[in-house]
Amino acid sequence: MTRRILLVEDTEDNREIVRDLMDSVGYKLLEAHDGAAGLTMATEHRPDLILMDIQLPVMDGYEVTRRIKADPALWHIPIIAVTSYVLSGAEEKTRQAGCDGYVAKPFSPCQLLAKINQFVP
Amino acid sequence: MSHELRTPMNSVLGFTEMLADGLYGPLPERAMKALERVQSNGKHLLGLINDVLDLSKIEAGQLTLALEDYALGQVVQTVKSTAELLAKAKGIELTATVQDGVPIGRGDERRLTQVLLNLVGNAIKFIDKGSVDISACALDGSFVVAVKDTGPGIAEEDRRKIFEEFQQVDNSSTRQKGGTGLGLTISKRIVEMHGGRIEVESVVGEGSTFRIVVPVQAKEEREAA
Repeated sequence: MTRRILLVEDTEDNREIVRDLMDSVGYKLLEAHDGAAGLTMATEHRPDLILMDIQLPVMDGYEVTRRIKADPALWHIPIIAVTSYVLSGAEEKTRQAGCDGYVAKPFSPCQLLAKINQFVP
Repeated sequence: MSHELRTPMNSVLGFTEMLADGLYGPLPERAMKALERVQSNGKHLLGLINDVLDLSKIEAGQLTLALEDYALGQVVQTVKSTAELLAKAKGIELTATVQDGVPIGRGDERRLTQVLLNLVGNAIKFIDKGSVDISACALDGSFVVAVKDTGPGIAEEDRRKIFEEFQQVDNSSTRQKGGTGLGLTISKRIVEMHGGRIEVESVVGEGSTFRIVVPVQAKEEREAA
């Protein structure tokens, strides 16, 4: 079955990178432009995996992650934080919010794909 | 600020990598060559951005150390395994020895690892053959970590200069050898924030030894000297 990945990301350029990358391996990409839309789409579509930016309009990635992980219907979906916060403690903070993986921006598309495949082989 | 600077770099490096990987179809050989230039300069620019951000944080007094207990042997091991590929690619032998029974230290493990990696990376970068040896021990309440190479050496008049911003001994070597010219400046500041120092000894034609001396139990120094 085709893998469905939800990307919550507010920058069009970054969405396009992930879109082209997912396209190249035949995964279906769902896109949300802000945190609240991300939460709605996660609930409606139950994707196989979520790529979560942290600095987002309306609701930040930490909050979206906490809400998804608190929902018994959604908590099993792996969430990978994709963020440019490389300050010490940022990775830890995403884990505390409930993220299952972490990729720092700028990311290498090839490494992002490898990370995704760790969770959805 | 870091978010604003790194976001466009994500596009530059991301699309470049996908183009080079053939995600958008095969490229003519000359285009591929040009793209490799974009890619290597993009990575260089990202290195500069990261270093400039680090340094400006240090200078604004905004960089604080995350003091925690750490094992010196672990720091050395992390650096050795990170640098090993680089050394192997150049045919350089990389060795590391840690004195038995060194005490547990207190300091910012991630930052100290960054400093040692910088010194080892420099050594590998600037020598063409021979070896790089890391040795670590505890002496009079300090950890002493030495990085000894069999490289070209650094003339006496250049030894002070290399810790200054954007000063490599031969500035034309930045392109050739890579690096941002900020690594040693940042390393020196981080070590000083731990209440320590970096020393360098060198004989032209024989090699250099960079030595980090940091208190085993670091307390954060507010003012970097």
